Amino acid sequence: MGIEVKSVYKRFGAFTAVNGVSVDIKDGEFFVMLGPSGCGKTTTLRMIAGLELPSGGQIKINGRDVTYEEPRHRDIAMAFQDYGLYPHLSVFQNIEFPLKVRKIAEGERKKKVQATAEKLGIAEYLDRKPGQISGGQRQRVSLARALVRNPRVFLMDEPLSNLDAKLRATMRTEIKKLVTSLGITTVYVTHDQIEAMSMADRIAVMRRGDMVQVATPLEIYDRPRTEFVADFIGSPPMNLFPAHFDGKKGIAATVQPFADSLSGEVADRASSFADAQGQFYVGVRPEHLMIVRDGVEGAASANVDFVEPLGQTTNVYVDCGGHKFIVVTDRTEAKIGDVVGVAVTPGKSRLVARN
Amino acid sequence: MSSSTAPRGSLFSGIGYYLLALISTAFFAFPIVWMTLSSLKSDVDISAYPPKWIFSPTLESFRKLFTELNAMDALINSAFIVCLATLFAMIAGTLAAYGLARFDVKNKNFIAFEVLSIRMLPPMVSVIPLFIIAKQLGIFDTPWLLIAVYTLNGLPFVVWVMRVFIQEIPQSIEEAALIDGCSRFECFWRVTLPLLLPGLAATMVIIFMFAWNEFLLASILTSSEARTLPVIAASSIKAKAISWGLGSAAGVLMSLPVVVLVLLMQKYLVRGLTLGAVKG
Repeated sequence: MGIEVKSVYKRFGAFTAVNGVSVDIKDGEFFVMLGPSGCGKTTTLRMIAGLELPSGGQIKINGRDVTYEEPRHRDIAMAFQDYGLYPHLSVFQNIEFPLKVRKIAEGERKKKVQATAEKLGIAEYLDRKPGQISGGQRQRVSLARALVRNPRVFLMDEPLSNLDAKLRATMRTEIKKLVTSLGITTVYVTHDQIEAMSMADRIAVMRRGDMVQVATPLEIYDRPRTEFVADFIGSPPMNLFPAHFDGKKGIAATVQPFADSLSGEVADRASSFADAQGQFYVGVRPEHLMIVRDGVEGAASANVDFVEPLGQTTNVYVDCGGHKFIVVTDRTEAKIGDVVGVAVTPGKSRLVARN
Repeated sequence: MSSSTAPRGSLFSGIGYYLLALISTAFFAFPIVWMTLSSLKSDVDISAYPPKWIFSPTLESFRKLFTELNAMDALINSAFIVCLATLFAMIAGTLAAYGLARFDVKNKNFIAFEVLSIRMLPPMVSVIPLFIIAKQLGIFDTPWLLIAVYTLNGLPFVVWVMRVFIQEIPQSIEEAALIDGCSRFECFWRVTLPLLLPGLAATMVIIFMFAWNEFLLASILTSSEARTLPVIAASSIKAKAISWGLGSAAGVLMSLPVVVLVLLMQKYLVRGLTLGAVKG
């Protein structure tokens, strides 16, 4: 059940937009595809929707092969970035549209539209045209139109990116609450890591047509598999220290103390992260680094380049033998030009593969 | 001081604009007014010099138009031919434009250009081949010949203009309809077409006028049965004299349907002639 995507790829001429993606999205799951523009996330979504036909592979929705089905036969609903509302119809007629096309009796249509509109707080705008309401309200109308017929699958293509930051934050929680309460399988496309982290049951990070990593938000945050994921998720991003794995001698890293802090068991897996030349990264989140006195055992000695107090936390930019990185700490006494020690919270160094 | 000069400046420029608009309107409206007045004058009044502005109006020219020149037959011919040709060109052209705007057609820019290139041909070039084809097919001097010719004449224009109007409609609106349960055709019918109305109206009026006023092809490809209004109007010019009253009456008769059409479509025309009518 849910959505099964099996080695689906899509080519536009010589350009490969989606490169053999496979993923199982569970029934009722909130699944987010995250990545920069041009990574193939929207194309993948459109293939699930049937708006784009795959060049190869198979897509199943609730166990049925729909790879080449028309969108209307897939029992899906979709919300678009620019809302895709029908400008010539009123809000009421917009929400009613999918029911009308499916020839549902008028009385029932009215009841359902009213109930859905109330749930989304747009009942008072039913008589207006889409051009006469605000962006946030338009997005609610598009959600209402999608939800009015209780679809099994709900696809959302960057639905919040045309809204202002404040509205985005409230809509985020609202959408998540709504679809979770309805138990609808949701596939959500975004380039915004905060949306992905806050809403997803699972995130697929995409790059150049591939799903680089598919995991829960915290798993992705804690254990990014590649350089790209580590850099894309988290702000400021994870610090990456080039390292080299040599079977006999173990791990050699630009900032050796951080490599040494890898627990023995993690270090054993280094071979699976290293590329053919044995290259990989040791990654440490900025908040898992501490400023200590210079010379403390297990700490790397570094120069303070810049201090950025943000109130709750402080970003300290340090330079360790030419390698620059960021430490996020509580308030600190460190000043520009100080020589300090930087230590890793035990167990927080990670292995990260090169791209 | 600038605050006191600004309103005066805009007042003057306001009056200036109205004056300019008035002069240019008078300039363009004068021949129409003159034609209308002439159609209501007797032959004596028409040739009077200096021109008579006050005269007793008469419908004599219109009477002659309908009795001597069989204007009624020509009016019916014109209406039948032009309406059908406009309808055919609009349907075929809009569907073709939809295909070119929305589907992955191979070499579609080339096809679109080919369609337009037909219009680059001077109509005169096609007259003789058309005449021969019509004779062979036995449709010379029938309405069907002109219907076919006017449909083909209007098509390129419809395809090009409607393609732009269709491209103006955000694709996500149609995709939403497809997902909401529409087939391609339902989506076109329920969503795209209503949004295209202003564009359709503007395009229709223009190709209607092309065909309604067309003289060259109509004069050569008809002889008596399928004669249209422009041909009749032209026959007021005779070898020895020009019958100004008759010609003016024919001109008024020809203008009326177009005026009515434009008035009916006014609401759409204003939006249709300024592209980008559809915004969410």
